[in-house]
Amino acid sequence: MTSKPRDGLTAALGERLTERMAGGEDEAQAVARARDGDPEAFRLLVERHSRDVFRLAFRMTGNEHDAEDVVQEAFLKAYRKLDAFEERAQFGSWLHRIAANCAYDLLRARARRDQGVERREEDESDPMLAVPSGAPGPDRLLVGGEVRRRLKAALARMSALERSAFTLRHLEGMSIAEISRALDLDTSAAKQSVFRAVRKLREALGEHVQWGAAP
Amino acid sequence: MGSGSLTHPTEDELVLHHWGEDDGPEVARHLQDCADCRAALAALRRDLQAVPVPDPPHRGEDYGRHVWLRLQPRLAAEARARRVGRLRPFRARRPSSRLFVPLAVAAALVLAFLVGRHWPHPAPPAAISQAARERILLVAVGDHLERSEMLLVELVNAGGGDKPVDISSERQWAQELVGANRLYRQTAMRAGEPGVASVLDELERVLVEVAHRPSSLSAGELGQIQHRIESRGLLFHVRVIETQVREKEKEGTQTPVPGGKVVS
Repeated sequence: MTSKPRDGLTAALGERLTERMAGGEDEAQAVARARDGDPEAFRLLVERHSRDVFRLAFRMTGNEHDAEDVVQEAFLKAYRKLDAFEERAQFGSWLHRIAANCAYDLLRARARRDQGVERREEDESDPMLAVPSGAPGPDRLLVGGEVRRRLKAALARMSALERSAFTLRHLEGMSIAEISRALDLDTSAAKQSVFRAVRKLREALGEHVQWGAAP
Repeated sequence: MGSGSLTHPTEDELVLHHWGEDDGPEVARHLQDCADCRAALAALRRDLQAVPVPDPPHRGEDYGRHVWLRLQPRLAAEARARRVGRLRPFRARRPSSRLFVPLAVAAALVLAFLVGRHWPHPAPPAAISQAARERILLVAVGDHLERSEMLLVELVNAGGGDKPVDISSERQWAQELVGANRLYRQTAMRAGEPGVASVLDELERVLVEVAHRPSSLSAGELGQIQHRIESRGLLFHVRVIETQVREKEKEGTQTPVPGGKVVS
């Protein structure tokens, strides 16, 4: 984009694509154009999906700054892997899996960094510890401070994998199969990670019941 | 017990049932007849509801545009690297060895810095102020990370077919980066920056691996290196540190050691 006329043409093309995509029309076409090396088409995909990717990244990392890094990395990775994108798939779902993988990488790096180090104040603002807005919760939420303290303990005991798998399943509504693809695991490992996370959560909440043998 | 089947579902099975991911209809059937298991499922649901669904910080309508503006230079660099990769032979893409002269000087400064920091001197060297040394160090580390990133990008994008790939240029490049990387890793470790040291450690393993490989790799061998880079998010972590170093460089920070944390 070195000259004005070309800018104008590209912008016009971009506007037309934006209009079509705003109407929910043919995202696949934008993906195809991006695969052919059209940066405007990729820009439209970035602009369309950024907020959703940020939401996922924030929920997984619990940190605004980290989430921004994940957004950047996810789009960069998606750009590199466009050739591998299967046309029949949903671009948004594919992108979310990439973003989840980036966030998981970041959580692992953070876990390595925090090894043997007391976690810092950022935990206090962990979104998983926020009181939910809107819907009425269980009675325990009336003693929110205690629940928060226990949730914090549960989150601290979860590995990066467990927290990632649990967040994707519980907060993002991804299926176990999608989680396994996003985190490069087999289905059984993804499932076990979710189970372990739920177990830790319930143990920390203090009402964990062993009903496997006889309820 | 009042259940229609003999075996009560386990907690894990109830978890799967809660999310509609049962392996079969047995749990649902059992729950129809077993009040205890229904109570257990209700307790599980109460516990899960205690975990709030957090609202992310607000991002306005133009957020996508901001993301694009930040992303665009990196995509352009990527596209440029691909174009260069297609037009020029692999071996021609290695940066000139003269680039490593300043790196060697910077590495020597790091060493001098370490010596000065950990072994007390009766009188500090007067030629270069501490602030200047820190700045040179930050610039050198930033450049080292940038070159490492370029090498990783080349490796990740190399190959693509079944034919053997010539990595002689990348191998030599890795050999040149290993020594400086080791020095920076040790600096980060001594300065109490385990996050930075950990990323540099992982980077060093890849550099050493590439440096010791033969010049020609099969697609499978190259794939192993690419998998190692991608599966551990190495490129991502290197970029994060590089960004932080560059930011510190701009701020003219007083912190005596590169890097800051891998994440905030």
